[in-house]
Parts: sequence; C-alpha cells; structure tokens
Amino acid sequence: MILKNIRFKLTLWYIIILGLILTSFSTFLYFTLSSSLYKGIDVKIKSIAELIASSSTNPFYRYSFGNIDRMLEDPFGWKPVTKFFQVLDESGRIGRKSDNLQHFQLPISALALKNASQGKVTFETTKALGKYPLRMVTMPVIRRRHIISIVQVATSLEEVEEALKTLLIILCITVPSALVVASLGGLFLANKALNPVDEITKTARMITSKSLNQRIKLRKTKDEIGRLAETFNDMISRLGRSFKQIRQFTADASHELRTPLTILKGEIEVGLRRRRRPEEYRKILNSNLEEVNHMSQIVDDLLFLSKADMGEVHLQNHRINLTKLVSEVYAQAKTISMAKDIKVHISNDADAVVIGDRLRLRELLLNLLDNGIKYTPEGGEIRISLERDGDQVKLWVKDNGIGIAPKDQPHIFDRFFRIDKARSREAGGSGLGLSICKWIAEAHGGEISVKSEVEKGSIFTVILPLAPHNEGMAKNETKHPGNARYKIRGF
Amino acid sequence: MRILVVEDEKKVASFLKKGLEEEHYAVDIAFDGEEGLFLAQINEYDLIILDIMLPKLDGMEVLRRIRIHGSSVPILMLTAKDSTENIISGLDSGSDDYLTKPFAFAELLARVRALFRRKMKEKTDFLRVGDLSLSTSTHQVKRGGREVELTAKEYALLEYFMRNPNRILTRTLITEHVWDYHFDPSTNVVDVYVNYLRKKIDRGFEKKLIHTIRGSGYMIKDEP
Ligand SMILES: Nc1ncnc2c1ncn2[C@@H]1O[C@H](COP(=O)(O)OP(=O)(O)OP(=O)(O)O)[C@@H](O)[C@H]1O
Ligand SMILES: [Mg+2]
Repeated sequence: MILKNIRFKLTLWYIIILGLILTSFSTFLYFTLSSSLYKGIDVKIKSIAELIASSSTNPFYRYSFGNIDRMLEDPFGWKPVTKFFQVLDESGRIGRKSDNLQHFQLPISALALKNASQGKVTFETTKALGKYPLRMVTMPVIRRRHIISIVQVATSLEEVEEALKTLLIILCITVPSALVVASLGGLFLANKALNPVDEITKTARMITSKSLNQRIKLRKTKDEIGRLAETFNDMISRLGRSFKQIRQFTADASHELRTPLTILKGEIEVGLRRRRRPEEYRKILNSNLEEVNHMSQIVDDLLFLSKADMGEVHLQNHRINLTKLVSEVYAQAKTISMAKDIKVHISNDADAVVIGDRLRLRELLLNLLDNGIKYTPEGGEIRISLERDGDQVKLWVKDNGIGIAPKDQPHIFDRFFRIDKARSREAGGSGLGLSICKWIAEAHGGEISVKSEVEKGSIFTVILPLAPHNEGMAKNETKHPGNARYKIRGF
Repeated sequence: MRILVVEDEKKVASFLKKGLEEEHYAVDIAFDGEEGLFLAQINEYDLIILDIMLPKLDGMEVLRRIRIHGSSVPILMLTAKDSTENIISGLDSGSDDYLTKPFAFAELLARVRALFRRKMKEKTDFLRVGDLSLSTSTHQVKRGGREVELTAKEYALLEYFMRNPNRILTRTLITEHVWDYHFDPSTNVVDVYVNYLRKKIDRGFEKKLIHTIRGSGYMIKDEP
C-alpha cells in the first residue's frame, strides 16, 4: 500500500543508497585512520629504538645511558613521558630502563627474543601494563655481526584508541541523523515533484462528460510535469470538442427528424383507424415514402457533416477537369429543370483544372443548381459559368428567382438554416445543402459567397485554386469506382 | 364540436384534419400564427390545437392574444421542443394541455375528449338525456337500450345537442359548432339534419327529446 506510493518508494530508495554510501565511507574512514595512526606509532617507537640503539653503539655519543630521557628530549623536542623503554642483554636480562617504568618492566616474548637473535625487529601489542594496551618494538643492537644488546621501546595506545573511539561515536551519531535529515529532505523533494501529479489526478477525476471545460492549472516551467499537464489539457479539449459535436449532432438530428416522424406516425395511425379504399392506402404510403426519403437524406447529410467536423472525410487529390465536370452537371440539371419549365444556360470556354475530389466537387455544383431550380419560379433562368482568374478559377451559379434578403444572407451557409421552412421542406430540403457546399469549397482551399437581391435573383460564386499546370491537361483524371454507388443529394 | 388546428407543416395539419373529421369533429386549418389568430377571433371554436413553432406569429403569442381577449376556449399545444421550460411557459400563459411531437393520434383524441369534458364539467365519456345515451369515445348512441345508427354529421349534431341540454341552440350556433368554414349559411341544411336526427331518435317513442323552439332554434331536453 505504502509501497504503491511513489514518493515513499523514491525516498526509501534514496535512503537505502545514501545509507550504503555513508556506512562504507565511514568504515573506510575508520580503518584508514586507525591503520595510519598505528603505523605512525610504529614509526615513532622504531625511530626512538634506533636512536637508543645507535647511542649505545656509538662511543662518541654525548649522552650516557643513564640519561636516556634527556637524550631523547634533544632530537624530538619533547619529553617522551608516555614512551617506555628498556635495554636487555642478548640473553634477555634487563639492563637499564626508563624512569617512568618504575618497578615495572616491559615483557619480552619468546618470538621477539628469537627474532632478535636473528637480527630482526619485532612489533607487538601487549596488554601488560595499565588499562590500555602497549605497542612495543623489540630491536637487537648489532655490532660487527654480534648482538650486543636488545632495545625495547613501548608506548601506550591510549591516544589512538581514544581517538578511534571518539571517531566511532561521532560516526554512529552523525550517519543516522544525516539519514533522517536526508529522508525528510527526500520526502519533501519527492512531494514537491509529485504534488502536480496529484493535482492532475484530482482534476482528471473531477472531469466527466459534463465538466469538460475544466483544465489543469499550468505552471510556467516546461518540465516533464508541465508537459504532462499540457498534453492532458489538450486531450481534454479534444474530448470536449468531440462531445460537443456529438451533442450537437444528436440535437440537430432529433430536431430535424421530429417533423417527418410526426407525419409518419400520424398518417399511419389515422390510416389504420378504419378500413380504407386501396387508393387511400396508396396515397398514405406515397406520402410516407416521401418522408422516409427525406429522413434518410437528413441522416446522410448530418453524418457527412459530423464526419467532416471530426476530420474523418478524406478527399481524393486528383486532377479534375472542371470544364468537363461543369458540362456534365449542366446536362444533368437541364433534364431536371425541364419539369419546372426553367431554362439552364452554360458558358464555360475557359479550360480549368483543379486538384480535388471529383465526387465532392460535383456535389457542390449540383447543390447550387438544385437550389437555383428550387428557389426560382416557373419560367425562370439559371446560368452556370466558369472563368479563369490568375491562378484561380471562378464558378458562378446565377438564377433570377426569389432571392435572399440581406439579413438572411450571412446565415444561409449555417446548418439547418432555411428562410422559408415550409417551402424548403416541401421541396425536400433540410437546410444542409449550402453548409455542405461551404465545407467542400473550403476543403479544396477555396471559398463560396453569395450576392442576392429579393425578387431579382441570386449569384453563388465559388473560387477554387487552379492546379499547377506543369503536368498535362487532365490526362491523369481518374474515374472513381465508387461513382456509381454514390448518390448525389436531391438528384 | 368544432376544432381549429393551427399548424404550419401541411402534412401534419392534413392528417390531423382527416383524423379528427373521421371522429365527427368539424375542423378548420390555419397554416400560420396570424391566420390562426384571425380564425380564432371570428369563429367560436370548442377547441384549438396550436403548434408552438409557427411562421409570422409563434404559438405562444397566438395563445397570449387569444387569452387577452377573454376567450376561455380549451387550447391544446403541440410542441416540437420537449423542453419542460416551454411546456411550463405554455401552461402559464393559459394553455390547457400539451403534447410533444411525435405524438400518438389516439392519445391526441383522448386529450381532446378530456378537454371537452372539462369544458362541460362532465366526468365520463357518456352523455345522457333521459333514456338517450351517447359515448363520445366509441360514438355509440342508444335510445331506451337499443342502438341507433347515425351518419357522421348526424352524430356530430347529436353530440353538440347533448353537450348543451336544456339550452336553446340557434341555427347560427349549430352551424358554428358542427360545420367547418366551408359551410354555406344560406341553405337550410341544419333543419334538414335536425329532421333526420328526429326520425332516428324520437320516432316510435312517446316522449320526444328534440324540441323546436319557434322563431329561435332547437333544444334537447328530458321533460315534455
Ligand atoms: N438560389 C437561391 N435563391 C433563394 N434562396 C436560396 C437559394 N439558395 C439557397 N437559398 C436559401 O438558403 C437556404 C439554405 O439553403 P440550403 O441549400 O442550405 O438548404 P435547402 O435547400 O433548404 O435544403 P437542402 O439543400 O438541404 O435540400 C434555403 O432554405 C433557401 O431559403
Ligand atoms: Mg439546397
């Protein structure tokens, strides 16, 4: 549990590693110090022993044996009160010894005696005198290859042991307290580093589909946590956008589907209330079919637009001969407009190739022509024309129909906007045609605009960028296999 | 019983008219708010079915203006928005009931009948005058326990009579409540239908229920 907590895990690791480092450092310190202290003592007693040995062999030496203390005082500058020494003959009998030994004598081991007889120096630690052990050197004095005497110098280890003990105490106190302080510090640092993570968690937990406008407070630093928070905020915004789109889609769909559903339900229920003649049933079914078609049109359009919103509509990038496309669409519009006694004209002498999606561009043109026919009274005229303008191509669909009032013009590209709802619905419209046109135009890097006067007519202008003309004219224009399956709205 | 339907969606208006007429109601249609308000003011309707989203004048405004002129005609609102906010404000400004689209036609009929009952302070779908009874839900008419077959118009006429017993009903009142606005007032259709009705209801019975009030009109009553 506590191990699931990163800050404790971090601190624990930190403490373990720091503890290992500190203890190994302390052990190293302790042992090197003690060995150098011991070595220093050995060097010191050996040099005293050598001094004494040389004085006993040098006939011109100033001092006699009787005054060893004074003799030592000279070269070392201090009185070696803590140093004990004695001189033995080669058989081990004690000759002179220093005053501070009083009635004690330094012990001599068999090993030291044996070494001495072979001319070797022996270092020993003995417990012979007092509370503290003694460090002692036993050195033979040799003249003309004969051992004439043995010198022993010893010193108490009190200072060394005391120093080492103090060091040990200091280490035993400082290492654990350093660890405690370090662990508190480590915990503090871990907290400081991880608190923003907790904050992110808290925000994330509070976010539901209804509170997607919440954000994590960003800190100025662009460190890992800052980047995490930023990424997280981005994710929330994207989520928010999709939620909004879904809500919008649902609201639009349910609102727009309600009228056809009311009609369907009502007509069927009234129809079923009594026995009717076949013609009556036929009439009801025909009307029902109309509503069902209208509904599927709305659903298709809405689905297209919501896919487009989410960036899931992928346009193909082919070279499209717009001149040819306009002629095709013109032919199609002509047959439909005949039923309403509307003349359709075309003027496209310009050769224009654009890069884009043939099906979508066709849909764009057909939607505009569909509107032209729908909103122009019988006997009216529609003209579709194409013109090159620099590196752009301009496309017009002009009618002399009912026109659009200036106050409505800014809204006609909005979803579901219809000036006369009843009229548009009777013609099977749902107010999505122009918003789809706008999307297609903009997806091709172009734009669409309208100029209109009530009772006089409207001009819809589409501007698209021309394809760079290094490659030949429309040779690589491809026919999509999907063409046949695709149903153009309204036609 | 004469009903005004104010609804801009032509197909909705048309199935409402057809269905209600088949239930023997006289139905007028208005396709926008202004027309609806105009019709409501010049005719005396027994019920108005009013859509909220209307061109020219929205349903709420029509409702408000009808009530301002002191009319207490029952009004059933149709709303495409099912937001409670709308419904509450509708009920506040004086509508009697509401239905959200899409609605079941049978439910609409039940609500219409309930509103008529409420207007007439009746408790059941059965209207009774003496030994004559009429069910507004099944359209069954019985005199002395025997079923009487009536045509649609005869039924509508009888229902109007039975909702207003012991009251003198002038020819104008009768045409206003039983016929729609295509009725030509210069004919004597009312008298003709009252006579048809008399033949089916009163013939063979000693006690006559439908009486002629000379110079004014007709009345249905139990006493002689
Ligand atoms: N050429 C035009 N002349 C007059 N009004 C127009 C013209 N084109 C569009 N409008 C107005 O703009 C509104 C929006 O047009 P749009 O094409 O988006 O929808 P729609 O034609 O009603 O339905 P849909 O195209 O989805 O079948 C129309 O309802 C109409 O009122
Ligand atoms: Mg359109």
